[in-house]
This record gives sequence, structure tokens and C-alpha cells, in this order.
Amino acid sequence: MQLVPQGTKDRGFRDGSLVPFDELFERAHEGDRNKAAFNRAVEFFCQRDIRRRGHVEFINAALRKMPEFGVERDLDVYNKILDVFPKEVFVARNFIQRMFNHYPRQQECGIHVLEQMENYGIMPNKQTKFLLLQIFGDRSHPIRKYQRLMYWFPKFKHINPYPVPAALPRDPVDLARISLQRIAADLSAEVTVYQMPLTDISDAGKEITQPHIVGIQSPDQQELLARHNPARPVFVEGPFPLWLKKTCVYYYVLRGDPLPPEEKEEVIDSERNFYYPMHLDLDLDRDLWDDEEFYVDEVAEGPIFAMCMAGAGDQATLAKWILGLQQTNPILSQTPVVFHLTPGPRELQAASDSESGEEEIPQSWHMKQEL
Amino acid sequence: MSGLSLLLRAARAAFPAGARQLRTGGFRSAYAKELFLGKMWKEEVFPYPEISNEELEEINQFVGPVEKFFSEEVDSKKIDQDAKIPPETLKGLKNLGLFGMQIPEEYGGLGLSNTMYARLGEIISLDGSVAVTLAAHQAIGLKGILIAGTDEQKAKYLPKLASGEHIAAFCLTEPGSGSDAASIQTRATMSEDGKSFLLNGSKIWISNGGLADVFTVFARTEIVDNDGAKKDKITALIVERAFGGVTNGKPEDKLGIRGSNTCEVHFENTKVPVENVIGEVGGGFKVAMNILNSGRFSMGSASAGMIKKLIEMTAEYACTRKQFNKKLSDFGLIQEKFTLMAVKAYVMESMAYLTAGMMDRPGVPDCSVEAAMVKVFSSEGAWICVSEALQVLGGLGYMKDYPYERYLRDSRILLIFEGTNEILRMYIALTGMQYAGKILTGKIKEMKKGNVGVALEIFVNKFRDSMGRKVDLGLVGKDGVAHPSLEESSKKLEENIYYFGTTVEGLLRRFGKTIVDEQLVLKRVADVSVNLYAMTAAISRASRSISIGLRNHDHEVLLTNIFCTEAYFKNNYAMAELEKYAAENLDDSIKKVAQQVLEKRAYICSHPLERTF
Repeated sequence: MQLVPQGTKDRGFRDGSLVPFDELFERAHEGDRNKAAFNRAVEFFCQRDIRRRGHVEFINAALRKMPEFGVERDLDVYNKILDVFPKEVFVARNFIQRMFNHYPRQQECGIHVLEQMENYGIMPNKQTKFLLLQIFGDRSHPIRKYQRLMYWFPKFKHINPYPVPAALPRDPVDLARISLQRIAADLSAEVTVYQMPLTDISDAGKEITQPHIVGIQSPDQQELLARHNPARPVFVEGPFPLWLKKTCVYYYVLRGDPLPPEEKEEVIDSERNFYYPMHLDLDLDRDLWDDEEFYVDEVAEGPIFAMCMAGAGDQATLAKWILGLQQTNPILSQTPVVFHLTPGPRELQAASDSESGEEEIPQSWHMKQEL
Repeated sequence: MSGLSLLLRAARAAFPAGARQLRTGGFRSAYAKELFLGKMWKEEVFPYPEISNEELEEINQFVGPVEKFFSEEVDSKKIDQDAKIPPETLKGLKNLGLFGMQIPEEYGGLGLSNTMYARLGEIISLDGSVAVTLAAHQAIGLKGILIAGTDEQKAKYLPKLASGEHIAAFCLTEPGSGSDAASIQTRATMSEDGKSFLLNGSKIWISNGGLADVFTVFARTEIVDNDGAKKDKITALIVERAFGGVTNGKPEDKLGIRGSNTCEVHFENTKVPVENVIGEVGGGFKVAMNILNSGRFSMGSASAGMIKKLIEMTAEYACTRKQFNKKLSDFGLIQEKFTLMAVKAYVMESMAYLTAGMMDRPGVPDCSVEAAMVKVFSSEGAWICVSEALQVLGGLGYMKDYPYERYLRDSRILLIFEGTNEILRMYIALTGMQYAGKILTGKIKEMKKGNVGVALEIFVNKFRDSMGRKVDLGLVGKDGVAHPSLEESSKKLEENIYYFGTTVEGLLRRFGKTIVDEQLVLKRVADVSVNLYAMTAAISRASRSISIGLRNHDHEVLLTNIFCTEAYFKNNYAMAELEKYAAENLDDSIKKVAQQVLEKRAYICSHPLERTF
């Protein structure tokens, strides 16, 4: 398969002008930028010259082109790139060579490859180590970098106590479910889908779209809401952003105002427990040295009764959410609900949508039929 | 017993007025609570309570036929398999009068004192299901009528209950409410004419629920307060099945005590006349507490009786089976098990009869804390001893052909019912702390205010303690009440009591009334106080045995010394853990681990075979 017409290839060498390797990649893909195309480009370079002339520039160009081809997180591709280096040539053979940074550009280049791997958080494997040993030998800079990678990366792999799954679901309902569970962080909390997204064509020919509404509430929140005084209003606020790697989702919150101190006292009933006294009738307080409460100036926050994520941020949709909540929290039917909705990023999304038309935004909560 | 009390009253009169604190009217048995102050009221426990010769003969006359009945006509294996007590057995029990042991003779019962009840409990415990059925009937089912009922109620219900014609049950627990009085949902609404209540609700896990005709039900009623405010309070009602609307579910399939009938009881618009309220309307909480607190002590003698039987059966096996040409009884580890069983049985017995004796004294002695201590110690001791006895038999103990597995299953419930051991530990510790706190409040406040004199005194005391102070509470020495053979054990007890007093004071100073939330601290306090009470009981009983020359009193001395030494070290360790910044105290780590595990509701460590690269 001729990727590059014979003429250009020879032309480049005969002319003496520098052929930017970027062009190689431009021509390698046949419409589709993917791993196969990238591999083809790399192989083409390897096959055309047994001495692999210009391999350092080629490798640097390849590293630059990887994000375009979408292979920056693929370990096989990195190994393939490392494979471009000629083997056993750069291995230091005596102590002088080892002292004096043998083949410095190549070592730098090897380090660049590993650095890009590090930036994208990819753990090298045995094949990488074998390649590096073959290419640069023991006790070289790339091997040192590899050793450092292999020291730190395992330690950092599980360090996030709340990891975001690598592959986020595309379906907005599933995404909403996962993100709401992430915010709530309560294993008893229940996610309810109040409305599935629907695109329908009514009789009149108009398009009716139903945004999805996914809500979450835990039993503790239900109890708090049941104890809420119906005379006081509850507020629906939003949308608040939640970033999951590169995706931003927006959620809305149903909250109440903090109780004034007068209403907050808890009366301890002496006839509460059949078996032992829950309250000692003593005039003694906790000692200073045993008091582990932190007196930081906290802004008292009111209780949060439920959260939701919806396809649209207008009052009608959220009112549907409140209606759905009323099933499990009858007190909402008597409580005044005030909507404090900020306009949200909707307009911005619309602007950027029209600009980057072909960019897929699967993670947007916005409706899909924009284009 | 009456002679003893006269003697002690005379002794009391001889003391000058200010020598004792707060002894207003009769014996307010506060032996256990006084331990929390680091003091010991020797007169309560020394000498060990005795019963008169006539009573002893009377008891032995009861014991004979009951033992015969239980060994011949109660087929425990069949009861366990069928999960039912055959009606002939019930009839036999009724004929022996065992359904009305504590009901006064005028109402047709046997009118036994607490001590005699405990004695009979030793034999009845040979079959767990029968014991629980009888206990549910009389220790809690009809206790309400007995202690808080009016004369009319007693005359109406007690005769039939005593003869066993009607069986009683105690209905408190609901699906949402185990110890929480606020979550009782069963409601009793007053009718318009004010003459009856309509009872609605359901209770679960009611022993004798299927057999009973008379229920003591606790329900929520609306009462009007002194200020005129309407409040919901608990009321105790006597409900007869004949009132209608009383249904019960099917008997629950349980791990142990399978012969006892445990089921749900539902009340639907049951009409209960106002005369059937026990105590007063809205006063059910106190009634419930009194009933629950009064039935516990008999568990000590019941467990002791069971362990004694187990020792016989197991020793029979250990002394006949040979391995490696040696009898099992020659091996040290097996011998250790038998010693453990003997020590535990001895201490349980001592504690149970000491408490029963204290409760039998004239006046209204409040031995609820002591009874709770007996229950905690005996239930855990029984579980461990049955487990060890089964272990001695090895594989044979595991087979259904032998009764050990049934005893093990039956004894597991001991740690759960009548107040779980965790709750009772809280009760023991908190009641003691409340008592001690009231008395020590003044002193602690002075110290906190920075009164130099008090602070200096405390500092000097601490210094003296660390130098090893000699404690003398009057147990040994010239006028010591304990026998000189028990000198070492008594010294250990005195030291422990003194150290306990200082520990309690330190805890009250550190935590004050917020100690209610420090359950890990309270658990240790309760454990120490249970051990102290146990040591006292053992020393007191052994002292008496030597003094009057009972058979094998030297064996008792050995058992007492073994127990006291072990308990001494355990107490010292627990009290060392309770010091501030103690290295042995792992409470913070425990709470942290628990919080992390419960947050994820799973075991969170990575699997040992996991790799990261």
C-alpha cells in the first residue's frame, strides 16, 4: 500500500530539504484517525530506512500527533514508538560512556516518551522495560525514569478515595444516577427516575421533548423533611456544576433554611429507654482537656432534603420533580416551594455548540437535537 | 433470715448517727452502687445471707418431686425436635404448682421467697424451653399484677394464673421498638363513656404468645398533663384473650428454646375495661422498668444448675475415654476446662443467692443493679461453659445424639433476652455513675474551680496511690469480716474497690454527664463492677462455708482464690485502660475503623492477591 507517492519520498532526500514528519502522519490516515492509521505511519517509517535516520525527530513528531489520533492513552502505541529506536546501539559499554551521558539526544527522546506516558497516567509494562533495556541499557536516564515511574505510579493508583470511573456512561439518565450517588455519598440513598428523556412528535407535527429527571433522597433526608415545619418555605436552587473529569453535569438542590436557635433544642425525655437512663441528672460538664469539639466559625447551613439532575433547568421540569417527591414526602404538598433558579450555562452551551458543530458533546445535559 | 436482720438493725442502732451516709428507712440495698464510690458496705454482704432451718426443709421438700419430674417426665430432646411442649408436661408442671411460685398463698400460689424461687430455678433450667415458658409466665407475664396491681386485679387474675389454668405473657416489643419507649405504636384510645380502652397494634416475639390467656400489654395513651398539655404516655394494661380481637401469628422457628412458643400477637379493637390498667394511666413506663428489673436474678441460679449438670455429664465422659493410653481427664487442657466450669458455676451461684438474699430482706430493697450484674455474668459464663463442655466431648459433643448442642443453642438466648448484655452494661454503669455523680458533684466542682486545697489533696492522694497505698476496708485484719484463709483474695478485692472509686471519680471529672455517649468507657466500668460484685459474693460465701464447716469448704476457698486472682488482673487492666492517654486504650482506633467499615458497609481492605502493576 503506497502511502506516500514515490516521488515525494525521493524528492525529500535528494533535495536535501527537511521533510517534516508531521506530513507523514497527515498522509497516513485515510480519512479516519485511529490506532491502525497511527501504527501504519510508524511502521512505514521503520521500514523505509534500516538505519532509522531521523528517528528522534520522528518520535517527537509522533508524540505530538498522538492526541489527534486519539491513541495517547494506549500503551501498545507507546511501545511501538519505543520500538522505533535502533536497539543496542545506544547501550553504554564502559564507565566513561556511562559517565558522559552517552547519546544524549536519544536519551532525552526516550525520556520524552516516558514523560508523555507519565502525563497521561499510563503505567508502563514489562514490554516497555524490556525495550528500554535493549535500547539504552542498564543505568541510563530513561531506565532511571522508568524506575521512578514504577515506584510512584503504583502508590498513586488507588490513592483517590472517590475515583471517577474511566468510562463515563453516555446515557444522561445513567450519568445522572452515578453523579447523584457520588454527591449523596450515602449508601441508603435511593435514586428515582421521575421522567425518562423522550422525543416525540405530536399530532400537530410539533416536536415534544421530555427532559430526563433523576432525583435522589436518603431516608435521613426523608425524616428531616417530615419533621420540617410546613409554615416555612423550602427552596429549589440550582443549577450547580459538578465536574467529572471532562464532563460537567448540573444538579439542583431542595433545601430549607437553618432553624433559629430557639427551635433547635432537643428535649430529652426521661421516659425514653426502658432499660437504662439516656440522660444523667448531674451538674457536671465535660472537662476542657477531653473536649474534642472544634469551634470554628461555621456558617450554619440549612438541611438539604433532596437533589436532582434534569435535562432542562426551568421551573416546569423542576416542578415535576417536586410532584414526584410528594409521593414519598406528603409534607411537600403543604409546604410552599420557592424556586431560586439561576439561568445556568444553557446560553453558553448554545453559543459554543454552534461553533464547534462537529464536536460531539455527549456529556452535555442539553438536548441532543441541537444540530 | 429474720434473726439476721434484727441483729443488724441492733448493730446499726449502736453506731453514732453521722457514721453512715443517707440510710433513711429500711435497707436500701445499694451495695453495688456504693462500689462506684470506692466504698463497701460490708453489712449488706457479710455474712452471706442464710435461710432458717425450717425454710431449708420446706425447700428440699419442693426440690425432690420437681427433680423427679424433670428427670423422668420431661423429654427435652423431643421438645426440641417438635418445637412444642407436650400438654402432659404442662399439666405436670401445673400440678407441681410451678406456675405460681411467687404468687402469695392467699391467691393459690406457692408464695415462695426469692431465694426459694432461685433454688427451684436451678432444677427447672434443665430444660430450656420449659424454663423460658415458666419465666415468661411468672417472672414477667404476671409480675405486673403482682407488684403494681390493685387488690381487685390480684383477686381476679392471680388464682387462675397460679394454678396454670391461664398462662400469662408480657407484650412490650414491637417491630420498631425494642428498648425505645418513644417508638411504641400500639395505641389504646379511651372510649366515649370513659369506661374502656380500644387497643390496636401488634407485638412481636412474645413468649407464650400462642398459649397465653392473660397479656400484660404496653400501649400508648393520650393523657392530659398537669399543665393541660396533651401528651402520649405508655400505659400497662391487663388484656384477656376473651376480650376479643386478640390473634396471634404462627410460632417462630428459633435456634434454641424451640419448645417455647414465640409468636406475634395482634390486637384489633380489643376492648379493655379501665379497671385493667396496672398502676395509673400514663404510668406504664415505671411498671415496665420494675417488671424488667425484678426477674433477672434467677438467671444466675438457673445457669449454675445447668452448668453443674454439664460438669457431671462431661466429667463422666472425660474420666472414661482414653487416648494415648491416658484418660482425657489427665490432660492439662481438659482439666483447665473443668476448673473454668466449676469456678463459673460457683461464682454464679454465690451471686444469685446473695442477690436473692438481699432482695428477701424486709423493707423495699432496690437490687436492680445487682440483679443486672448477675444476669450479665451468668449469661456470658453459661455460654462459655457450655461451649467448653461441648469441646471436651469433641466430635461427639457436636452430634445431635448428645444434649450438648441443645444446651449450647438454648444458652445462646441468655445473652439476648431480658435485656441484652450490652444494654445491661450501660444500665449498670450509668446507674452507678448517676449515684456516684450526685455525691461527688460538689467535690469535683471545687476541684475544677481551682480550689488549691482540694487540688493539693487530690495530688497527694495520687502520689500516695502510686507509691502503693495500703487499703483497708475492713475485710481482713483484727475485726475483718472475711475469714483469714481468704486474706489474699480479700486484699485484692479491697484494692480493686479503692482503685475503682478513684477511676470513677476521674471519669466523672473528665466527662461529666456526657459520659452517656462514651459507651466503650462505660462498658469497662460495668465489667469492673460486675467482677467486683462477683468477687464479693464468692468471698462472702466461702467465708461462711469455712466458718460453719460446710463440706468441701477448702475446695470453695480454692475456687474463690482462682476467681479473685483472675478478676483482679482483669480489673486492673480495665482500669488502666480507663486512665487518660493510656497506651492500652484502643478506643480511638476502634471508633475510626468502625466508622470506615460502616461508611462503606463492607470490608474495605484490598484482597491480598491484588496487584497494582
